[in-house]
Amino acid sequence: MSYLSLIFAPIILSIFIYFFTKQTNNAKYIALALFTFMLYMSINIYMHLPETGYLLLSSFLHVEAFDFNLVLQVDRLSVIMLILTSVLLILVGLSSWSIEKQSAYFSLLIFFCGAIFGVFMSTNLMWFFIFWELTLIPMYFLIGIWGAEGRIYAAVKFFLYTHVASMLILLSFFLIYKQSGTFDMTLIKSGVLTTPALIWWLLFIGFSVKMPLFPFHTWLPDAHVQAPAPISVLLAGVLLKMGAYAMIRMLILILPLQAQKYAWAILLLGLISLLYAGFMALYETHLKKMVAYSSISHMGLVAIGISTLSYDGLSAGVYEMIGHAFIISPLFLIAGFLHHKTGSWQMRDMGGIMQRVPYISAIFVLAGLGALGLPGTMGFIGELSILLSAIGKYGVWLIVILLGSMLSAAYLIWTFRRVIYGEMSEVVKITDFKMPKAEFLSLIIFSIFIILFGIYPQALFDIINQAFSAYATSGGAL
Amino acid sequence: MSAFVLLFALAIVSLVIHKLSILKSISIVTLIASSALVLLHFSTPLSGFTSSAAIELFQVLLFTVISAVIISEDEHINITQTLFITAASVLLLESSTLLTFIISFEALSIISFVLVSNIKNAKQAEGAIKMFISGSIATAIIVLGLSMYLLEGHSLNALIDAKMSNFAIVGIWIIMMGLFYKLTIVPMHSWAADTYAQIKPSLAATLSGVVKTVVVVATFKIFSPFILNNITLSMPILALLALVTMTLGNFLALWQKSVGKILSYSSIAHAGYMLLAFVAIQSKYASTALLYMAVAYIFMQTSLFLLLDKLSDGRGDLSLDNLKGLYSKDKFASLIFSIELFSLAGIPLLAGFLGKAILVYAVVDVNLIFLALFTLLNSALSVGYYAWIIKHIYFDKAEGKNKISRVSNTALISQLILLSGTLYFGLFAYNIFEVAF
Repeated sequence: MSYLSLIFAPIILSIFIYFFTKQTNNAKYIALALFTFMLYMSINIYMHLPETGYLLLSSFLHVEAFDFNLVLQVDRLSVIMLILTSVLLILVGLSSWSIEKQSAYFSLLIFFCGAIFGVFMSTNLMWFFIFWELTLIPMYFLIGIWGAEGRIYAAVKFFLYTHVASMLILLSFFLIYKQSGTFDMTLIKSGVLTTPALIWWLLFIGFSVKMPLFPFHTWLPDAHVQAPAPISVLLAGVLLKMGAYAMIRMLILILPLQAQKYAWAILLLGLISLLYAGFMALYETHLKKMVAYSSISHMGLVAIGISTLSYDGLSAGVYEMIGHAFIISPLFLIAGFLHHKTGSWQMRDMGGIMQRVPYISAIFVLAGLGALGLPGTMGFIGELSILLSAIGKYGVWLIVILLGSMLSAAYLIWTFRRVIYGEMSEVVKITDFKMPKAEFLSLIIFSIFIILFGIYPQALFDIINQAFSAYATSGGAL
Repeated sequence: MSAFVLLFALAIVSLVIHKLSILKSISIVTLIASSALVLLHFSTPLSGFTSSAAIELFQVLLFTVISAVIISEDEHINITQTLFITAASVLLLESSTLLTFIISFEALSIISFVLVSNIKNAKQAEGAIKMFISGSIATAIIVLGLSMYLLEGHSLNALIDAKMSNFAIVGIWIIMMGLFYKLTIVPMHSWAADTYAQIKPSLAATLSGVVKTVVVVATFKIFSPFILNNITLSMPILALLALVTMTLGNFLALWQKSVGKILSYSSIAHAGYMLLAFVAIQSKYASTALLYMAVAYIFMQTSLFLLLDKLSDGRGDLSLDNLKGLYSKDKFASLIFSIELFSLAGIPLLAGFLGKAILVYAVVDVNLIFLALFTLLNSALSVGYYAWIIKHIYFDKAEGKNKISRVSNTALISQLILLSGTLYFGLFAYNIFEVAF
């Protein structure tokens, strides 16, 4: 019951915060306190996890006839996601310190917090879906109200596109229930399913949209570009991770046989996403769109890691998910900051920013180097471990992954040349670059993470590996 | 039946006292008393009428919604008509033979004609006349079907016979088509879009929210054995009707500029969803699904039309552009409007989601996977226009002078009643799962 409030307290609280912090602008303090508490609770849950398997937190609202039972169970994978989410929420809260209409903004963030905790904590497929869909609502408003010029188009497209995909997911959940008689993902035996292939493909398409993999990615560049910078962080750091998490959780762990059979599809779409988005990023002159494509490219890498279906591949995939969150977020934040100050998205209007704001530029370069996989950053470890496990599984031809790496080096270094160094443009000369302290603090924290886990990845791998230890002992096929 | 007697007596009395200001409070008290009568099973048995747990639950929720309608209603004569409608609804819900069903259905229709005849301008007159004409045609069709059924020597004073000739079966189908006029199933829908959008929205709330759901539930109660007996024929026909109804309703709603029209077409689309329960009648979830959808729908649709009534000051002629910037003018109204729209769209934690989800599950349960897929895609399509209304409320700035009026506090109370229903049934499903038809 108390764990239930981790989900529902924020959702209910958000409405009160919306109406009662109108005048005082206290919403951000409440939000930050809440997110810190959520981080504390997630770590607390982590401490109590059993060696393998699930920890039952609570069970509520039982409807016998439909197995409509809000079961909260967590294992290591979900707790890792919970911790990542709450860290990101704190940083997002910091980097939105001086945003307009604070009470509404932060109450939506708090609402989102409740919903996303529900996604990672519930093991009942119906409730999983309910929270999965619920995350769309705050995102729709956050993009639609605080976004840039084309925010309305982006918000509606985001909402509709992902909602259609969710319908496929819901249909396959219904098929699972019809065939296995349970909605509980810890109890589903893939053996009793009569149409496992259909279920697998429906789920695969549904989750690919969220992740997003080529060709289902078209909503993401729009949403990313139009969303305010902190919300882009949330999109890249949390929303896309939902797709990857669900893919591991359902496609691999619930339907292992089908996953073996169709892993090529994940690999194929992952590879295409990696390269296609890399080329698109190379072509882009729109700074934030470039970062958005870079984000898609990295999620392609995660998909390749997942597609190996091996212990080290999955671990590497999860590591890359975390790395991607920490690396891509400062890029989004700084791109949004530059747009906010210069009023332009185009790289040609920038240039020479290093001379004006050396610290922020240095963080941009650091995160960029992380994204292209420089040793000593999180990006390197993620790419290397995924490359090794993919070659181990599929053979040497997967060396093409390095092409993606080269592409990212190309577009990022070229971007540094155009935006950070280079000649100072007229626009940059007359702009006053002043960043609020809280936003700068969040950038610093991001860069500390990038370096810390880049130098000492074992700390993270120790936690992630345990998540898949049960998978490893069963020899990859549960 | 005792609830009916109480409500009917009050309706008759209110004809005399409808000028008094206490009519509203008397009506609310009576509705609460009727709910108590239903809940305490204080019923006088009468041949031709039976009740069940599901019907009782639905009646209590119906009385709740009617209370909300009455609280927000300003014109006392409409309160009187609403009471008559409630009484007839109770009768229709409890009727268990073909005779009582047809009679109560006709009573309900005639009272709804009277309800819409409270006309203020030419537009409302057009809506009312369209409804009257189509209603009369529906009655004629029902009588035709009934006569075909009776010609074969079947009795009116019982349920529909299990064994009958093809001629009588056609007769029953014709009766159902007549009923589908009231349920706004395509192609019997065209009156509804105009009527709902052109009459006073508070009356449209009663018609599209209350009357339609009552008729759906009662039709399901009476006709489900017949559909089950003729499943090979009825499944394809009803599946086609359901598919066409929801698709056409959703597509036409996408093009509309007026809020009333969008809500009307969404109401037609929802009739299509509810018809799915008839298609999936072999599933043990069908009756639960229908009841759930009916309960969810009665709360959200009534709420939206009542809110539209208040925002447009009873004229109902708001276009999407008028809604621009509503957010900065009236925060509570925008929030409630958006929540109810999200519920219609089938967004989780709201009653509309569970209603739709269980309906679709019932369809999956009888292995009609493509129908389920099309329903889900339809539902996703409908998000297009619901989210579009919300976009006008929240994302756009108000331009120029707009003609939105403030929502009074009494209206907010009635909205909160309906909102709590939408929220409650979005979270707690067991009340509906444990009752049986």
